[in-house]
This record gives sequence, structure tokens and C-alpha cells, in this order.
Amino acid sequence: METLLATRPPAVGTWPVTVDWSLMNTTEHADSLATGDSAGPQTGKGNGTSAPDPDPKSSPEAVVDVSTESAEERRVRFERDAMQYVDQLYSAAMRMARNPSDAEDLVQEAYTKAFSAFHQYRPGTNLKAWLYRILTNTYINLYRKRQREPLQSNSDQVEDWQLARSESHTSSGLRSAETEALDHLPDSDVKDALQSIPEEFRLAVYFADVEGYAYKEISDVMNTPIGTVMSRLHRGRKMMRELLADYAKERGFGGPAASSNDPAVETATLAGAGTGSKNQESKK
Amino acid sequence: MSDCQSLGDCEDSRISRIYEYLDGALSCDDLAEIKEHLDTCPECAQEHDLECVIRSAVKRTCKEAAPDNLKATILERIHNIKAADVPAG
Repeated sequence: METLLATRPPAVGTWPVTVDWSLMNTTEHADSLATGDSAGPQTGKGNGTSAPDPDPKSSPEAVVDVSTESAEERRVRFERDAMQYVDQLYSAAMRMARNPSDAEDLVQEAYTKAFSAFHQYRPGTNLKAWLYRILTNTYINLYRKRQREPLQSNSDQVEDWQLARSESHTSSGLRSAETEALDHLPDSDVKDALQSIPEEFRLAVYFADVEGYAYKEISDVMNTPIGTVMSRLHRGRKMMRELLADYAKERGFGGPAASSNDPAVETATLAGAGTGSKNQESKK
Repeated sequence: MSDCQSLGDCEDSRISRIYEYLDGALSCDDLAEIKEHLDTCPECAQEHDLECVIRSAVKRTCKEAAPDNLKATILERIHNIKAADVPAG
């Protein structure tokens, strides 16, 4: 079974590059990272299925008078309030750097910058989102310095091609069995799939699914317009769906190669026999 | 097989509506309308379920603990930043 990236078409030079990471390069200095507006209060989730975690430390923060705080008091406050997010920032950094060593460096660098800019953080606003924004900017700036080239400039070809493929795939009638199959994929497959999609999509999906951030919050953290966030999220989600479906097939879930002992798979194979046969034949 | 057109006139817009629904990005009226539709349309309900499975899988697998020494390393670096480097309030 083919996978998404193995069959990527050759780059089309004339395709416009819409990745606007360049926006983020303007905020290299901690000053511009530190406005409280960049990480405002979390907006409620309409249906309550994925409400963001409330910030447990937001109340004590809110009473701090930053203007009279000594350097030592600020250090204590930083350690108390900001250091609790090391795991979360590391997880996000793993989605950016994609290896533990670089992820550690990234988190260290981001925390150092955050500490130096902490006097500009507005107590009572979303500290974790503020830290995420610094992390994201740190990543862009480090990456830019190392590579001196735009990130993922081929993502448009990937997404365009991928969307076209999505159309035919979702009509296979295997949906219910597919859900079942995807639910049984090992964690490593899910991680691999996320790491395989272009990074601006990957990070949008990460902030949405893992942090439960709303579009506006992702827009703040990634310094991208909301419309761009929505588009990246939707495309990223469709790519995830496709990749995971491929992985499931490769593992023999949800296709004819699957064990016929699984009643869900058997039913789905029968149900999909009319329209999905071309997909099923390709796996042997 | 997914020929339901209640949420959009093509597969793409239909799934987008489900994404928006799950993202909490809809008005109350739209939310109620889609919820009602999901209760009665097995096709769209399956799309919804699939999406939920993917989201929870991403959430589950991408939460990683930082290496043990990372927090200590950060604290050390912060302590090495001279007080003079940090602007007073």
C-alpha cells in the first residue's frame, strides 16, 4: 500500500508558497513576544467536548504587582508559575524539532528567553500560551539561522494532491470499520503520522488536539491569521485521516488482509464491496 | 456511500462542518442543528466518531514527559542569568 509521502508528486515550481512562517520572524526579540494580548483568556468550547484545561495558577498570578516586584521575587514567581509547563513545552518541541536532543535545546532556549522577558508577561493572562508562543518563535529563529531557507516549501503540493485523494477515499463505505481500525493503531503510528504532515499543519493539529486550543488561541500562539489556522487544521486533519487509514491497511486492519475473526472488519468488507473494491484489491 | 448532503453539498464541506462542530467553532444554532443531524444520520455520525478517535489518539500519544534533567538544566540556566540582565519592574 502506498503511503502519503512515498508517492508525493514532484514539486511544481510555479505553485505559490503560502506558508507564512515569515510572519513569525518579525518577533525574534522577546519584547514583541511578551504582550499579554498574544495569549488572552481561553475562549469557551461550544459543545464542551474538548474544553481547554483551566490554568490552575492563574489566580495567584493575577494579584502580583509587577511594577514593584524585585528581580528575585520575579525569579521565584517564574519558577513557581512557568516551570510547571516543561513537559507540555517539551511535547510541543518534539513536534517541531522531531528528535529529543533538539527538542531539549529548544525548550531550554525558550525558557531562557521567557525568563528574560517575564517582566513583560501580563499576570492573569494565559501563561502557557505565552510560553508556547515564545517556543514557536524560538524554533523559527533557530531553524532560520541553521537552514536559511523557508520551511516546508513543498507543503502546498502535498496538501493539494492529498485533498484530491481524500475525495475518493472517503467514499469507500468503510467508515465504521475504519474507525474501529484506527482506534487499534499503535501509538507509534499516530506519532509517525503526525510527524509526516507538513509542520505548520502538524503544529496546528497539535495545539488543537493536545492542548484543546480554539482557533483564536492557535492563531495567537502561531502568530497566524485565524483563517490560515482553520485551513491548516482542516488540511492537517484530512492528511492525518488518510495516513492513519493507510497505516491501518498496511497492518491488515479494515481490509481483506485483516483477520476474518473480526466481525467489524468482515461487515465492513461486505458493505464496501460495491464501491471500495479498488482500495481493497491494492493490499495483498 | 457517504451521500448525505445535509451538512454540505460535497464530502469536503460536510467533513469541514463536522470539524467545526468538534472544534467548538459554531454558533449555538448551528451547533444544535448539527447535533440533531448527527443523532439521525448514521453516515455523518460515523464521520464524527472517526474524527473523535483520531483526535483522542493524537492527544494520547503526543503527551510526552520531558527528560528528568531538563527542568534542572533550565533552572540552572536561569540562575546563571545575572540579575542585572533582567530588567527591574
